[in-house]
Amino acid sequence: MYYLTNTVDMININNLNFGYSKHKPLFKNMSMRLSNGHIYGLLGKNGAGKSTLLKNLAGLVYAQSGTLDVLGYDPAKRQPALLEQICFIPEEFYLPSVKINAYIKANAPFYKNFDHSYFTDLIKEFDIPVEQKLINMSYGQKKKVIIAFGLATQAKLVIMDEPTNGLDIPSKAQFRKIMASAMTDERCIIISTHQVRDLDNLIDTVIMLDENDIALKATVEEITEKLTFKKVKEVDDSVFYAEPSLSGYNAVMPNYHHEESKLDMELLFNAILAEKTKFKPLFS
Amino acid sequence: MEFRDNKAIYLQIAEYVCEHILLGKWKADEKVPSVRELAVEMEVNPNTVMRTYELLQNKNIIKNKRGIGFFVDEAAAEHVKSYRKQQFIADELPVVFRNIYLLNIGFDELENQYETFVKENFNA
Amino acid sequence: MNNTFNMTRFGLLLRRQWLEFGKIYLISLVVLLGIVVGFYGYNIPSPFKNNNFDYAGNLDMRFRYPLFLILGFVFISIVASSYFNILGQKSRAILELMTPASVFEKFLAGVVYTALISLFSYLLIFYLTDLAFVKYLNGHLNAFNHPGIKKVESIPQEVFRDEGFGKYWAYFFALPFLITSIFLLGSIYFNRFHYIKTALSVMVFVGLGSYLVVRFSVWLMENKVRYHHNFRNDGKDQILLAILLITSLITFMVWAITYIRLKEKEV
Repeated sequence: MYYLTNTVDMININNLNFGYSKHKPLFKNMSMRLSNGHIYGLLGKNGAGKSTLLKNLAGLVYAQSGTLDVLGYDPAKRQPALLEQICFIPEEFYLPSVKINAYIKANAPFYKNFDHSYFTDLIKEFDIPVEQKLINMSYGQKKKVIIAFGLATQAKLVIMDEPTNGLDIPSKAQFRKIMASAMTDERCIIISTHQVRDLDNLIDTVIMLDENDIALKATVEEITEKLTFKKVKEVDDSVFYAEPSLSGYNAVMPNYHHEESKLDMELLFNAILAEKTKFKPLFS
Repeated sequence: MEFRDNKAIYLQIAEYVCEHILLGKWKADEKVPSVRELAVEMEVNPNTVMRTYELLQNKNIIKNKRGIGFFVDEAAAEHVKSYRKQQFIADELPVVFRNIYLLNIGFDELENQYETFVKENFNA
Repeated sequence: MNNTFNMTRFGLLLRRQWLEFGKIYLISLVVLLGIVVGFYGYNIPSPFKNNNFDYAGNLDMRFRYPLFLILGFVFISIVASSYFNILGQKSRAILELMTPASVFEKFLAGVVYTALISLFSYLLIFYLTDLAFVKYLNGHLNAFNHPGIKKVESIPQEVFRDEGFGKYWAYFFALPFLITSIFLLGSIYFNRFHYIKTALSVMVFVGLGSYLVVRFSVWLMENKVRYHHNFRNDGKDQILLAILLITSLITFMVWAITYIRLKEKEV
């Protein structure tokens, strides 16, 4: 958007059909393009397929039909040339019973551009005890190790599934700082989350999954250009969706007066789930 | 930084930058933090900070020296004031006017109140 | 860089897998050593036992062979069936599959660990234990208090001197590889209880296979061929060659299926 002079499609999804069983499709003819220089926030209800979409991108599951192009490769082939450019942070993971150094020694050489000093910086910033074995660390600490490792690989595509799960409050702030600095022109970052409040200022483009497809894909700028989020005393016809709050209602409505409101991602999320038809014409 | 809920983040960051300039923390012709530095400090997307800097550039509050970074404009303080005045007139004044009208407050009373306020707060 | 096979990357992968696999592997080696030593200690001829040697003065070391074969089967099959079991756990499989090495390299690392390294280390451990006990025994022969007692030989000495072994052993060369390949496949095919499920499947397959072969040959030949006492025509053991070829062939087939399973593994 603003920051960039040259954007390219890093991910191109074309008519993707996917389901864990034939009778229950999860994605129907889904198409989408993602480019560099963005932090995409992937939102959706439980079971809407956030993790599954991420796994499709990483080649961990295979589409039934349609094409997927990730950095010019077909992820289903699991070629090393692509794998070394992907940093995938799963929600659940296992780390072997070794110290950080041994882990790095065994895993870092696979990544040509691995930045050891950056890794050390991140570990320091995250306050990770270097001498402790990975297996004895808490879930949050392990998560921070794997995030630090993934970012230090300098991977072009960063995929994170619920990265703030299990992080305590100070770690969440550290995480936001690290992600703000990790977002570079060359990178495409996709973060799935249901804890929107942890990340809403980091995300610049919202992707919402619902009913087997993408219900919304728009930049925060586009959204706040078309919609306004504000507190109102009463709900009238102009309001698309409203939730009661202490002093009236938190409402979403069309932005007739070019107001510059702050995107309330949680409200938007609920609004789209409840009133999809009202939003469709605005974003298409 | 704690963001408020009622205003776009990039505008809140613009206010933050203006505040720093008005308070003299960032002086004329000095370099301001890079987009990335400020994004990290604010824990926001760098694209958002970039949007802030574009806005401030348009208002002549900061200027972009290609390849070096952003600097505080020589006349930044003045431009901040005019930008704020513009914003005040556009955003906040209508609310005040509405209340003045609804509560039927006369201009004489308003003037008195205003003078007392200035005397108490700014010793002018 | 080549996307199918690259020697440096393969080396890195072997080293990385050691981190995952090595510790449990070393522990199993120690257990193996303990079991071998235990069996030797219990069964070795001793002056305090009866019936230790025959009339010619040969000490009874026959327990070694069933031990070698049975333990060997158990060890290599357990090692093989634990190699890919991490792919059955979602949390581990993702990082495994996302490691920047090709599917072929990941498969080959599995073969190296389960077929080569495990077999080699088994032979080494058994050989060394055997050697140690043989040395010890030979050093204390006079404790048996019998003039005719002969020195015992280590397994390799005994085996390679044996005429029959020299003639036949090469034909069974592929058998241990077949065992590891089947259990390696089992470790990726099943998500839980790899070992028992693999063993059961093998039993079912072999049972069914033998039954069908017998039924088929009966149908094919009963009352159709003459009984012939000199069925073996030229004195060459065709059946042994067939065993070698078929076991090798099945081993490679099972490895090929394993490779395909790994390629198609989804998390």
